Order: sequence, then structure tokens, then C-alpha cells
Amino acid sequence: MSAAAIRVVDVRKHFGGIVVAENINLEISAGEILGLIGPNGAGKTTLFNLISGIHAPDGGEIFFRDQALSRLSVYRRARLGIARTWQNIRLFPTLSVLDNLLMGPRHYPGEALFAALFQPGARRAAAHAAQARAEAVLARIGLEGARDKTPGELPFGQQKLVGLARTLMNDGEVLLLDEPMAGVEGQVYETIKQVVRDEAAAGRAVCVVEHNVSFIRDLCTRAVFMFNGRIEQSGTVEELLASDKLAELYFGGKK
Amino acid sequence: MEYIYSVLILIGIYTIMAASFNLIIGYGGLISIAHPIFFALAAYASALLNLRLGVPIPLAILIGALFSAGMSVMLSLPSLRVSGDYLLIASIGFQLGFIEVIKNIEFAGAASGLTGIGSLYSGPTRSLAFTVTVLVAAAAVVWLVHWLTHGEYGRAIQAMRDDEECFASLGRNAMAIKITIFAVGSGLAGLAGALYAHYFQFLSPEQFGIVQSALILTMVVVGGMGTTLGPIVGALLLTALPQAITFLNMPPSVMAPVQGMLYTGLVLVFLFVRPAGLVGKKAGQ
Amino acid sequence: MFDLPVLLQILWTSVATSTCYVLFAVAFALTLKVAQVWNFVQAGTMGLAFYAMFAAMLGWGWPHPAGFAFGLGIAVAVSMAVEVWGYRVLRRRRSSALLLFIFAIVVAEFIAYLLSLVFGTEPQSLTKSLTSEVYLVGGVAISSWDLNALAVTAAACAALFAFLRFTRQGQFLYAVADNGDLAELYGISANRAYLIAMVIAAALVSVGVYLYGTRASMIPNAPLELMLLAVIATILGGIGSLVGAGVAAVFLSVLQSASILVIPSQWQSSLTYFVLFAVILFFPTGFRVPAWLRRR
Repeated sequence: MSAAAIRVVDVRKHFGGIVVAENINLEISAGEILGLIGPNGAGKTTLFNLISGIHAPDGGEIFFRDQALSRLSVYRRARLGIARTWQNIRLFPTLSVLDNLLMGPRHYPGEALFAALFQPGARRAAAHAAQARAEAVLARIGLEGARDKTPGELPFGQQKLVGLARTLMNDGEVLLLDEPMAGVEGQVYETIKQVVRDEAAAGRAVCVVEHNVSFIRDLCTRAVFMFNGRIEQSGTVEELLASDKLAELYFGGKK
Repeated sequence: MEYIYSVLILIGIYTIMAASFNLIIGYGGLISIAHPIFFALAAYASALLNLRLGVPIPLAILIGALFSAGMSVMLSLPSLRVSGDYLLIASIGFQLGFIEVIKNIEFAGAASGLTGIGSLYSGPTRSLAFTVTVLVAAAAVVWLVHWLTHGEYGRAIQAMRDDEECFASLGRNAMAIKITIFAVGSGLAGLAGALYAHYFQFLSPEQFGIVQSALILTMVVVGGMGTTLGPIVGALLLTALPQAITFLNMPPSVMAPVQGMLYTGLVLVFLFVRPAGLVGKKAGQ
Repeated sequence: MFDLPVLLQILWTSVATSTCYVLFAVAFALTLKVAQVWNFVQAGTMGLAFYAMFAAMLGWGWPHPAGFAFGLGIAVAVSMAVEVWGYRVLRRRRSSALLLFIFAIVVAEFIAYLLSLVFGTEPQSLTKSLTSEVYLVGGVAISSWDLNALAVTAAACAALFAFLRFTRQGQFLYAVADNGDLAELYGISANRAYLIAMVIAAALVSVGVYLYGTRASMIPNAPLELMLLAVIATILGGIGSLVGAGVAAVFLSVLQSASILVIPSQWQSSLTYFVLFAVILFFPTGFRVPAWLRRR
């Protein structure tokens, strides 16, 4: 039995002649917040795409608990409890905020036509439960008032919050957050920080791609530095931030 | 009077065809030109079950519709596995190919058609009974499509149309939804086909060719894709229009292409001038 | 039934007749590759080109070269109009793939109806007599049409290859096919590339239709069915491969002709559709060609 929720083993990926991931080995364990840092184009989002199933690796394997993910399609992995956010948020533009959240639960009562036609009672109960959860999550991020608005009507920071909230609706073990702090500040920043902390404390395995150094320092215990598709260094946040080699690669010179 | 009943029945049947096609293309976003073939499959199946095996007509109609729904999976499953584009291509093959195949099948009447099909009702009130049945069925189908597309399931369909990849990353099975929509739509087309067969009592391959495909597409585009009432408006308009054209007394060799040009021309005009259709909201409203 | 001279004859004749299909397939594959559009309007272009040539040659008595040029001109003009006033407008409006498909199919159907209105549905050919001189080579009948068709098609494909490989415009087409946005950044006009691709396709198709019309007869609905073979060939050859599309077209033509040996004639016309389904089921990403053959 493995303690790690996600284990990436010897994964490599190339597009045409370009290698975007090489010799990737990492683990994300329950209750920890793993920071994934590195300059743009290092392969961080690609790694998320490989874990969530958007791309298939050309070598290596990814495990969720002890289950190999390679045969599973994107939606099946989400149903196992692997949830992710996107750099460009990707809320459904024609749905209200509440409806966006209601798309989030892993098992969606209204989706099976069979259930809709022949088990209306069970379906209604599940729908009520999902709605109650969605409203609770909205309250948690302080956006109850936005429930009937469409994403287009919200400022950027609130859209990010909704995107995060939608991921929480998955209620799974793994949370992959792709630059949750990009472009946010003030109250939204604090809210996101608190949510991420709470989720890890609740036992979820959280991995965060971020450029914001103070966020990494505050929240992550471990971090992994990627550059040009490879993991250059991994260890505690302090170790990485003190490394000269890292500074050179990331900033192109000593700090 | 008989004539009026026929027209009403046709309007009802085309409403079912348009509403079910609208489900597939307007809501599901799936492109197929083979809708008339599912109409035909159920029509032939129902007619033959009754004619050759003595199955009672109401049951034959039901089996026919289910047969169409089942056959649609044969078309949608392999093509959607690859992409939506392939469904279109496969449907072109299905549409053109089925016509070729049916022309060679003797027990289905081959090219000259299947005659002597049983009638659902008999007696002096036959036409009236049929008219009521078909119009009630049409109303039920329109209501069914509305129900399907406006509840939770409809929300899922909309999200899938908005961003399918993100939809999948939330744990939703887009393929299952598409195949289901395609099957329901095709099954409903089958219902229309079987009703048609047992009223007009004659089927031939000319009745489900490319012209019918273009006609149904025109009804949906002109009426308004992705709206509940659009198909009704489209069906009304485009059943009335050919009737109007017959009054112009053109020879049949001229009338068929003129009809075809009218349907496709209308689609083109609406595509560029009013893509939302007659019922749909104009962009910006 | 299976003796050698018959087999050789079938092989030769089917390869010769595949020439038209090669041109149709390569044209379709080209527009798909460069403009990423399933250009079903090509069926309409084919019909218009044929009937324009028909009207000129058999209606007004023009000599063949003039008639061909006329058909070519019509095909090119219509293709340009469809690109500029159709696809480009829809693209600018960010129309969905759905609307683009509907547009393409509907234009093709509209043209087919127009042609059947004007020209009727009787089969027509471009020459009064469809026979040409025949030479016997080792028991196989080789007609001068066969030789001309092969020569013309080879020349057309060579010209296309040379254009794509050695001219700047040709290389721009590849750049846009690869990544339209990136190409724009380098100053290559994607719109211009789409237009050029459509024009080249129209030219190839005109040649193909001329060859077809001097060997067989055409009805207004025929292009849609001929197109199907082009589409199957494009998929089977691997989307993005012009050579693949051409080779697949030859293969499919040979298959269609050879099937006479094993299938009753009434099912012949249905064969194409069964092949289409087989391709979608088993080879949707193209037949796997060994790497050393696959270049583009």
C-alpha cells in the first residue's frame, strides 16, 4: 500500500520532435501541499495534463493509490477523485455560477437518462444534496450573491474563485491547481490561500503550480523545480529557494 | 377533406422529424445528414413486421422506433470514438448507401417500393383518427425534447457544448450523452417513419433521399436551431411551401430540383442573414 | 474467372480509371490540410466544371482545349467566391464547425439541384464517342485514353509537388497548414493560403472531371458520390498526407474494379459505402504506412 495519492513514475512525453517531459518522478501525498515551480514552458501544465489524462505519456506510468491510470480516460480519472483547475479558468459561459458548480460533483444525478426516467425520487434527492453542497461552497468563498450570475458578469478574481469552488465539488482526494494565484490579490488571494490550506488539512493531496514565491513559502512544505521538461531539484521549499542553481535557471543569474 | 387530413398528418410527421433532428443537431451539436434513414429503417421494419410476421401494428411501430434507435448506435459509436467530423462523413455514407442497399432487397420491395402495408386504423373515421394520433404524437415529441433539454440533463448538454474537455475533466461522460441524444433523436424519427408507413401504406427509396435530408435541415435552420418552437414553425412553413409550389403546375422534372434549390437556398440565406432562425433570438438581443 | 490476362486487364484498367479519383482525392486532401475544412463544396465545383465544359464543347461546339479552359475558369471562379464570401465570412464570425459543415453540404446540394434543373438528369459525356484507340500489349488492352489520363495525372501531381516544395507560396501553404496563427506572426497571410489552396483544388478537380467526362457519363448527383471516394481516400491515406490520399485513391479504385470478380454486380455500387464504414471502424487515422515511405 502506498501512502502517496499520486505517483508519477519515469514519465516522458514528446510532441513531434520536442520533448516536453523527461524522466519525471514525483509523488503527491495526502495532506501535503506540493509546490510545482519553474519558468514558463517548463512542462508544469503538461504534467497536470498527463495526470488528468488529457495527454497520454510516451513512457512511464502514473498511479492513483495503487491503480495505474494509463487505461483510464479523462472523465474516469475525475470520477476517481482527481480534480484540477485551469490556467484560463474555463467556466461554462452559458451557465450560471450555481450551475457551473453543479457540474462539479463526481457523480452527477441528472446525467443518467435511465435514472431520470425510472428513479425520479432518488435522482431528486441526489440533486437536492448537490445543490445544498454547492450553496455551502459558495458561502465558504463568500460568493452567495453571485449564484445566478453568468461568469461573464463577474470580475476576474471572482471567476477564479468559482473555478476553484467547482473543483471542490469533486470532493476527491487529489487537487491539482494550475496557477490559482495568477492575477489575484487582496481578499481573493487570502480566500484562496485559506481554502487550499483547509483542503490539505482535510486530508487531500494538493499540488499547486505557482510563480508567486511568497505563496509557495507560506503554503507548501515540499516543492519540485521543473525546467525544460525535467525535474531539476526537489525537496523542502527552503532548500529549493536557497539553491543557486535554481536561481540561475529561473532568474538567469544570482538572486 | 381527405386532402386536409393528409396535410395535417404530414405537418405532424415533419414536426416530429424536425424536433428530433433539432435535438441532435441544435442541442447535441452532432452533424448528420442521415436522419431520413432512421425514419426509413423504422418504417420498413414496422411495415414488414406487420406484413410478413403479423405483429400487431402498435407493437410494430414501437419495435420499429427502437430498431432505429439501436441502429443509430451502430453509426454514432464508431464515428464519435474518433471525432464529430467523422459522424458527418459516416452519415453521408449511411444516407447514400442505405438507398443503394434497399434497392437490392427484394422482400422489402426493392426499388419499386413496398405496397399493401397495413393501416393503423380502419373504417370511415380512419383519417380523422390518424390525424389526431399524429398531432398528439407530435405535441408529445416536442414536449419530450423540451423536457430533455431544459432540466439537469439539458444543463449537462449545454456545458458539454460550451467546453467538452473541461466537461470531461469534471467527470462527465460526453460520449455517452452524445450517443444517447443521437439514439433518442433517431428513435423519434423512427416513430415518425412508422406512423407514416401505416397511414400512407406505401414506402419507396425515393422518399428518404438527400432531398428529404435537405428539407429537414431547412426546417430546423429556418425555424431556429436549439429552440423548442423552431421545429414547429419550420415544419409548418416547409410543408406548406411545397403545397404552394404544386399549384404552380410545373412538370415533375422541374419541380424536384426547384424544391431542392428552394430548401437549400433558404438554409444559405438564413445561415448568413439570420443564423438564429425565425424563432431564435437575434445575436445581440 | 481468375486467369492472368483478365486479372492484368482489370488491374490496368482500374489503375487508369483511378486517375480521376486521384485528382479528386488530392484536391480534397489539400483543402482539408491547409484550410482545415472538409470542403464538400468540391462536389459542386466538380459538377459546375463538368457541365460548363459540356455546354461549351457539345452545346456551342468549342474545341476541347477551349472548353476545358472554360470549365476550369468557372471552377476557379466559383471556388474563389465560396472562399471569400462563404468560408471567410463564417470564419470571421467565429462560426462553429457545425455551421461550416452545413454551409458546405448545402452549397454542394444547391449546385446539384441547379444543374439538374438546367441540364436534366440524363447522363451526359464530354465526347460523342467514348471509345479511343486501343493497343494490345501482351494480351492486355491499353487505350490511348488510359495513356493520356496517366500522363496528365502524373503531370498534374508533379506540378503540384513542385509548387509545394519549391515555391515560396507553396511553402506558405505548408506553414499555414501546420500552424495558422504562427504563420500569421511571420507575415504569411492565412486567408491568402486558403484561397490558393481552393484555387489549386479547383484546377485539379477540373482536370479530373475532364478525364472522367471523356471516359464515362455524368449526372448532376454523381459528384456527391464521387466525392465520397475522395473522402474515404483522404481518411485512409491519413489526414494531412496528400501522397497518402492519392495512393489510397488508386487502391480503392482497384478494389472497386476487382470486386467484380467476387461480388454480384447489383451490390457493386453499395461496395463503396461498406468500405467507408470499414475505414471509419478500423482505419480512422489512416492506414499505417511504414515510416520510410511516410514523408509529409
